[in-house]
Amino acid sequence: MDFRFSDDQLTLAESVRDYLAGTHGPEVLRRLDAEGNRDPAIWQGLADMGLTGLLVPEAQGGLGMGLVEAALIAAECGRACLAEPLVDSAFVGVPWLVARGQTDGLDEVVAGTRRIAVPHPINPWLADSEGAALTSVDPLRNLAVAEATEADDLLLNVGALMSAAQLVGLSDAMLSQAVEYAKVRTQFGQPVGAFQGLKHQLASCSVAIEFAKPVVWRAAQALQDGLPSAPVHVSHAKLAASDAAMLTAETAIQVHGAMGYTYEVDLHFWMKRSWALCGAWGDRAFHYHRVEEALLGGAQPIGPEHTFA
Amino acid sequence: MKLGFSPEEELFRKECADWLNAEMAGEFRDIRGITKLTASPERRKEWEQRLGEARWGCIGWPESWGGRNATLAQQVIFAEEYARAGVPGRVNHIGIELAGPTILAFGTEEQKQRFLPDIAAGKTIFCQGFSEPGAGSDLASVRTKGRLEGGEWVVNGQKIWTSLAHISDWIFVVTRTEEGTKGPKGLTFLMMPIDQPGIEIRGITQINGDAEFNETFFTDARCAADSMIGAVGEGWKIAMGLLAFERGVSTLGQQMGFRNELDEIIAAARANGAAQDPLIRQRIARAEIGLRLMRYGALRMLSNTDHSKIDGAALTYKIQWATWRRSLGELAMDVLGQAGEVTDGSTYEWGTLPNLFLYSRADTIYGGTNQIQRNLIAERGLGMPREPRGDI
Repeated sequence: MDFRFSDDQLTLAESVRDYLAGTHGPEVLRRLDAEGNRDPAIWQGLADMGLTGLLVPEAQGGLGMGLVEAALIAAECGRACLAEPLVDSAFVGVPWLVARGQTDGLDEVVAGTRRIAVPHPINPWLADSEGAALTSVDPLRNLAVAEATEADDLLLNVGALMSAAQLVGLSDAMLSQAVEYAKVRTQFGQPVGAFQGLKHQLASCSVAIEFAKPVVWRAAQALQDGLPSAPVHVSHAKLAASDAAMLTAETAIQVHGAMGYTYEVDLHFWMKRSWALCGAWGDRAFHYHRVEEALLGGAQPIGPEHTFA
Repeated sequence: MKLGFSPEEELFRKECADWLNAEMAGEFRDIRGITKLTASPERRKEWEQRLGEARWGCIGWPESWGGRNATLAQQVIFAEEYARAGVPGRVNHIGIELAGPTILAFGTEEQKQRFLPDIAAGKTIFCQGFSEPGAGSDLASVRTKGRLEGGEWVVNGQKIWTSLAHISDWIFVVTRTEEGTKGPKGLTFLMMPIDQPGIEIRGITQINGDAEFNETFFTDARCAADSMIGAVGEGWKIAMGLLAFERGVSTLGQQMGFRNELDEIIAAARANGAAQDPLIRQRIARAEIGLRLMRYGALRMLSNTDHSKIDGAALTYKIQWATWRRSLGELAMDVLGQAGEVTDGSTYEWGTLPNLFLYSRADTIYGGTNQIQRNLIAERGLGMPREPRGDI
């Protein structure tokens, strides 16, 4: 048993983090928001890094990696508040197609010329696809109405997992924006971050985020390994990440004071993405219900004779 | 990441389980299932010695000091099997998890020889003398004085909240040894034998009726000059080093205890119908998720082999489990309903779940209150500006 990431996994996540930090800062979000949300150059950059083909098998020209690597990178996409539908297409649509053996045309996905959008009844809309347009609360999300005919569990679980992974990255970013603001904003002759009334709230966010992360990684590994308990691990992850993100969004706005309520402060992009993802691929009520059923319905054995790694 | 156990690890699990189950079915069957920390102290000291003889007392320690140099996975497995077999908690928890590792890290060779074999063998039970009536969250303001006199340390003052002092053999004490100093300077870390005329112990009755902790009074209490760990004036450094061990592998055994408590609540909810109530169902699900957070958080924290680095997860661990367990106690009471508010007979003896409710009121206070934990997380973890702190 080993709960660490390999050096390769960490290096990969770090390189994506650095790339997005360097090319996809808040000024890019501002530009996209003003100019129609999408920039082919950003998408091409992601494809050039190999990210569109991360989960495409090597035989189809992809990197052939697994859901754990994808979850790590999804968290980085959340941290950068990436607007392009990389996670929806490459980390949700692609593994679902691969699991069904539908690998035709994945080379185009690798090249960045094709995107995968798969509908599910729990999500009656899709990112960046055909269909009647919807306006999302998240100004950088392009949604269209979708008709889902099949309620596939794997699709739901991968979608929920990748939402959870993005949520922990979004939470990290919101916490760090709030901490930086609290260090420079002064009132009563000192940085507001020196007041316990404020630092204790941010400490609570830190607790929620630090504890949500390993649950997300655990769920990614469980789903990658095809464990029968994987759906419950995914629900744990989605709930923990949603709780962390909503608490951090609420607190970060509070810490920014009236500025936090303005369109001018970048924070709202992250807050709205969090809000949108908390509802996507099963809301909190849905995932609570799954955990309750597993615990109280008898599917998850209880008692001291059962381990819970 | 590799989250399963290897065949070798499963063999180790069987070895642990076989030994523990045999003991709990045999010579020590009378202590099986005890949850109260103060129950059957003499038998539990014998159990510590049995663990020591079989080298199961401190498996994470180096082999040369009576341990097994066990890997993290092996320690996880042993903690799981220990809880699963219904073995009561360790009365020498302080010796094994805190005093031993501190001596190992900071003690002299002679001190290691003198203390470690007996701690490992379960023959020396330790307790912790940190808090004082005027030094709680502000631990550095300790006033218990120590002075060297005729080749011995002479200690005067008072400690409080000394858990299990009344059944312990030794106490480690943070004393002020430099007259006129304040705060973390001028402190020295001493180890003192408890059985001496200068030490008096008085129990403190807790809200659940139990008396696990004590007031400990020092009146010209004595220990040898070489009973200090580190140098004169290094007491704060040693005390902080010791507290870092508190976040160690012991958390894994603790979580199996938590697992058992939650499972007992689930069983009670099924038995009395509370499990049909949507609000109770959701709270049980919340408790389960909270437990998973701690489980995977601890596994990740312990997998990090570079313990010199302050890890965000390590700073957040105490507040997470304490707050979770306090809520668990409240959930237990809501599941039991009014039946949880009464007990048969005339004694103030509570069942496991009411006792959990009462006992868990302490979790968010001892070992650093939630308020102190949040200060640490904000200042050390997030790098936020420090509060003004007196004249330290």
